[in-house]
Amino acid sequence: MPPDPMHDVSDATLVVAIGRYRQDALAEAFRRHAGAVFGLARRLLGDDAPAEEVVQEVFLRLWQQPDKFDADRGSLRSYLLAQAHGRSVDLLRSEGARRRREEREARITAEAGYDLEHEVWDLAVAERVQAAMNQLPETERLAIELAYFKGHTYREVAVLLGEPEGTVKSRIRAGMRRMRQGLADAGVGGRP
Amino acid sequence: MTEPMSHEDLSELVAAYALDAVDASEALMIEEHLAVCPRCRAELAEHREVTALLAHTGAPAPDGLWDRIAATLDEAPPPVELGDVLPLRRDPPVPAPATTGGRNRLWAVAAAAAAVVVALLGVQVVRQEQQLDDLRAQIEEPADPSIDDPDATLVDLTSADGDVRVQALVDDDGRGTLIAHGLPALAAGQTYQLWGVVDEGQPISLGVLGRDPRTVVFHVTDAVRVLAVTAERAPGVVVSEQDPVVAGERVEA
Repeated sequence: MPPDPMHDVSDATLVVAIGRYRQDALAEAFRRHAGAVFGLARRLLGDDAPAEEVVQEVFLRLWQQPDKFDADRGSLRSYLLAQAHGRSVDLLRSEGARRRREEREARITAEAGYDLEHEVWDLAVAERVQAAMNQLPETERLAIELAYFKGHTYREVAVLLGEPEGTVKSRIRAGMRRMRQGLADAGVGGRP
Repeated sequence: MTEPMSHEDLSELVAAYALDAVDASEALMIEEHLAVCPRCRAELAEHREVTALLAHTGAPAPDGLWDRIAATLDEAPPPVELGDVLPLRRDPPVPAPATTGGRNRLWAVAAAAAAVVVALLGVQVVRQEQQLDDLRAQIEEPADPSIDDPDATLVDLTSADGDVRVQALVDDDGRGTLIAHGLPALAAGQTYQLWGVVDEGQPISLGVLGRDPRTVVFHVTDAVRVLAVTAERAPGVVVSEQDPVVAGERVEA
């Protein structure tokens, strides 16, 4: 295999190459995005082992069904994360594992191959995202966090917060739009 | 929930859906709505990009995880799923459709860029979704037309209003891959059709793509300077009377 033939190609091209059974393309997609996928699954599931299983499932699915990814409907990372989030939430809801979960920082030893450029970019983005999140009205931030990071439905969030369902639904939407604007203003919105 | 939901109700739920924070019955209704509502699809895509950023931790995946995945790949290569293999019919030359004034500008662009007619070799439409498990064993290496070729020409096919955009790669030998994910799914009874324009704007069919094409492999000669996709009544037509949904010119890098 040549040194790194996939290093500079776009995510969309990687996926086409994955459709052509290029393992090096899948490896490159993993190198770019597996950290984020793992971090999200681990944050939801609270443990390394089930989070690793989710990562494995998500990348195997990309290998087996690359055409499920539609480059015109979002980035590869958002697609993979949506898959990982959905799978993690399924696990949470089906296994009642919520109580075993706790918030932990997902600071894992750097893996060889995870290059500094990506790591620095990720960390810088993480900071700005946290800043944008902190600027949301408390009610919106809480609703989004309970839904996204705790795996609750908006109905459950409404019960938890003692608010009407419709209010929570609207707050999630308003908060997501505000986040998008805040991130755009901070110059965050895509991979370098 | 028994009441059918309005667009307004459903679009309000799209953000919660992006967070996987709706129940299963709502998810189904939203997915049905998304299939027919480009505005809500666009909103979902925006929310998904935000959630992707929310998920940032800046940390890598654990050591050894890739090796475990790679080992699985060796044991169980993915199925090769080929379908819709359509020989290109060699019809005698047919008159170009009676068109002039009112036609879409894309065919006009196509006409301007066309060159000499050379026979087209054929077209093979590959659809990953179709199940043809019995082919797995027979096919070790799938056709690998243009993706590995650094000199392949990228063709941008866009709609007149610029809203729909798909891309194709065509290598020096005329082997092409159309990445057709961006085409909205058509209603039953309709099909997309791929055209190559070679001679004063007269399009030649490069294949019938179905109503929801994904990745399409085709073959053209140098003479084909423009690629276009139309929406036709199934099973497809010899001469298109339709304006292209998208079209784009081959421009050498």
